[in-house]
Amino acid sequence: MNNSIPKTRKRLLTVIASITFLFMFLCVRVFFVCVIDGKTLVLRAKDQWSRDLPLKAPRGEILDRYGRPIVENKSVFTVYVKPRSVTDVGVTSEILASALSLDAQKLAHKIKNSSVGEITVKKNVDFATGEKLRRLGLDGVYFSTDSTRDYPYGEYLAQVVGYVNVDNVGQNGLEGYYDRYLRGVDGKTLIPSDNSGKDLEEVASYVKPLRGATLATTIDLNIQSFAEDAVKRALVDHNAKRANMIVMDVKTGGVTAMASAPTYDLNSIPRNDLEMLNAYSKNTMIVDVYEPGSTFKIFTTALALENGVADDDSTFFCAGSRIVDGQRIKCWRTKGHGSQHLKEGVCNSCNCVFMDLALKMGTKKFYEGLRGFGLGEKTGVDFYSESSGIMMKESGVKPVDLARIGFGQAVAVTPLQLISGVCSVVNGGIKVTPHFAESVYDDNSEYYRFLPETKRVISRSTSDRMRELLEAVVNEGGGRKGGVKGYRIGGKTGTAQKYASGAIANGKYVSSFVGFAPADNPEYAILFTVDEPNSYAYYGSIVAAPYVADTFEKIFYYEGIKPVTHEPKEYVDMPALTGLRFAQASAILKEKGLYYEVEGEGEIIKSSLPLPGEKIEKGDVVLIRT
Amino acid sequence: MVRTERKKSDRVLLFSVFALMALGCVMVYSASSYSAKVNYGNEYFYLFKQLAGAALGALCAIAFGFFDYRKLVRFRIVILIASFCLLALVFVPGIGVENYGAKRWIRFPFFTVQPSETAKFGLVIYCAAYAAKKHEALTTFKGLIPILAAGTATCALVIAEPNMSITVCVALVTACMLFICGAKKKHLALIALPAVAAVPLLIVAEPYRFRRLMAFVDPWQSPLEEGYQLVQSFYALAGGGFWGLGLFNSRQKYLFLPFSESDFIFSVIGEELGFFGCVCVIAAYSVVVWRCFRTALKASDRFGAYLSAGVGCVIAVQVIVNIAVVSGTIPPTGLPLPFVSAGTSSLIAFCSAIGLVNGVKRNSDLL
Repeated sequence: MNNSIPKTRKRLLTVIASITFLFMFLCVRVFFVCVIDGKTLVLRAKDQWSRDLPLKAPRGEILDRYGRPIVENKSVFTVYVKPRSVTDVGVTSEILASALSLDAQKLAHKIKNSSVGEITVKKNVDFATGEKLRRLGLDGVYFSTDSTRDYPYGEYLAQVVGYVNVDNVGQNGLEGYYDRYLRGVDGKTLIPSDNSGKDLEEVASYVKPLRGATLATTIDLNIQSFAEDAVKRALVDHNAKRANMIVMDVKTGGVTAMASAPTYDLNSIPRNDLEMLNAYSKNTMIVDVYEPGSTFKIFTTALALENGVADDDSTFFCAGSRIVDGQRIKCWRTKGHGSQHLKEGVCNSCNCVFMDLALKMGTKKFYEGLRGFGLGEKTGVDFYSESSGIMMKESGVKPVDLARIGFGQAVAVTPLQLISGVCSVVNGGIKVTPHFAESVYDDNSEYYRFLPETKRVISRSTSDRMRELLEAVVNEGGGRKGGVKGYRIGGKTGTAQKYASGAIANGKYVSSFVGFAPADNPEYAILFTVDEPNSYAYYGSIVAAPYVADTFEKIFYYEGIKPVTHEPKEYVDMPALTGLRFAQASAILKEKGLYYEVEGEGEIIKSSLPLPGEKIEKGDVVLIRT
Repeated sequence: MVRTERKKSDRVLLFSVFALMALGCVMVYSASSYSAKVNYGNEYFYLFKQLAGAALGALCAIAFGFFDYRKLVRFRIVILIASFCLLALVFVPGIGVENYGAKRWIRFPFFTVQPSETAKFGLVIYCAAYAAKKHEALTTFKGLIPILAAGTATCALVIAEPNMSITVCVALVTACMLFICGAKKKHLALIALPAVAAVPLLIVAEPYRFRRLMAFVDPWQSPLEEGYQLVQSFYALAGGGFWGLGLFNSRQKYLFLPFSESDFIFSVIGEELGFFGCVCVIAAYSVVVWRCFRTALKASDRFGAYLSAGVGCVIAVQVIVNIAVVSGTIPPTGLPLPFVSAGTSSLIAFCSAIGLVNGVKRNSDLL
């Protein structure tokens, strides 16, 4: 008998052994899944166990230099509907639609035919409307509070601050440039839910949102208000296309104010009109270039002094034009300025003087110096899409071009480049980097702080001399209207013809004035440009300078800067000049203590502005037409 | 040997089985309360059924202990034919119930029965009885044919439902029975070859089996389709870690893990009681299986020995296959965990089998 009891016993034991082995193997296997792979698996599983409700981090604030908010946040509601929980679709969508100005039928259709658990009905619902709706306690309607940008000063700094999109992400301007700091870290509420997305009655866990960091800027809201006022007035007064003003801290390059008109209200961004939004939100002072004209002569003078090609005793002769390489280049005063010392040349803004200076320096030295001021390259301002300006290739510059560049033609700069360069000229010769941000910080740490440069561009003595020369321009030359009685202000006017598709555009000018004060130890520099003025005049001295003077006056009062001299304001009546010869009129004006700009090259005065008999301040600049 | 008048029940076996059933009731409630509330509006829906099944099961476990199992030898053919008939009934329209695309249940006025659960034991009884009677013949291949035929017929009926998992289970049990009953190794090898060869054929026959096989190889490739069940089972076990989330704290029971109260209850045990709980459950099964084999080793007759060992094999095979599926060791297939998974047919069938084993034990003590 082969099939014995011992054999059965042996076979039973074999089966038991196999089973035991398999049970143990399974224990090991379960251990691997439960414990060894556990953590990675749970990480994957977590996604399905909860529904997460995002908690938007409030964006960081943007502050002016005294900590006053330029941009802050306000609470808004986001309105959701859970279609499955809505009891009466018709009534609910009716109420929501009328409160949120939506189409009731579309909404009802959306609720009825929804396959998702939740519909976002509207974002950024203002607090009052949202609160009113919430009090109604409609079934299936849910609210979450959110924060959105609030601009206490509406139009102020619109092109600087930039804007955020509907999801609160910075798009351009400082909002865009510093978005990574400002946006913060979103939090979330994790609501345990079943596989169909239904919430379970369990305690939700909460990941706190981290508020964005604060951006402290160099802007001074008071000075900004002066600038905003100036550009808006100039726009209207001169029927201009655009007026821009930059106020800069001369020593650091910090932008104290930057205003542009026309502008728009950041609280009601024209999101539906992209063309308009793009036009109004573009910061033309950083992104666009213009031919600077006479304001550029500041650099030519400074570099000539620095390179020793001219000094106070140098004399120049202007017969109304220069012939360079056989080409006649006219001075703005075709009658000529005669023989002048450097100071007179600067005060007269005589083109011939600056042609001489540029030609004497030569392209290499001149370009080297201009590059030192940061011209022809990006300034490094904390702003996107900055332009680097346009300078001819050094190797391609012929003497004719060099002469033109000397008085600010055949070169294009951004307003920001120009004022930054001027700051370097007058602040003792130290390069400045224009900037908006002073620091970026939150409760825990500082993420960024602006560190000023210490690179020298020109010598202290050249800078000192430049301040004197430019102060003379305001006191004695074409910059009269840029002055404020009793204060020391330096500056330079500029009037440049605009080019359109390569040719001079007739009657289109950019009038500008760049000034700084106090002239002996400057704190602020102001560049004011008026694009295409369409009024009685286009001279920088008349169109731009007065607004700078006005702004300086307000700054002095605001900063408590006392006048150095106390001259009582004197007034004179505008004399009748029409029909007089130019020499006679000039003598009368000089006697009255008035300065003048002349339009036309004739001998007989045709008209004057202001009109005869008007009461004007002594020392004012009037316009005479011949 | 001294004859004692008192026939002693196997208390360790009964205690282990009752403990598993009690755990089963708790875990079925925990795993199903949420889905039962969602689907039936009554969180106790499965618990009540399970409690009723457990009560009936316990009754059978005790009652069959007093039944003279040796009477079964005479009825072996009747039992086998009854088994086949029940299996065939699922295909009769109006009686068979189709669920998830498979006909596995027979409708009775107040309840449904899964005949494949009883068929396993019908087959074991037949094989044990046959082998006990003709144990000398089993050394020849011819002598093995009745067992093979019974096994093959059962497999054929079950796979027609279709129910791959129980088919595999029945095949394995048949193999075990042949081995235990003393079939020669070369004969076993001869039988194993075509059986192994049949596997790829069966897989190719139904495309869903191939997809499931691929899902098993890499469930993360289709975590929302074929791989879903396995991925969710992994999540449950992983969620439990070593000590578990605590009783009733399963996260996967919130409709994430399908069949969490039946075929995948072990995942929920792992999630709530951790690796520790899993080991305890496996230990309890080890005790149950060990007691069956111990009874087989001490049985007073061949039929008792083969019957007890057969029951032990059914339990062991089903536990091993179930846990192997849940832990992603073999391709997913639906098989209840004996005594624990929701399902009254399974409970009553297994408990009755335990009762028979207890009967063998009580009898062996008489020697």
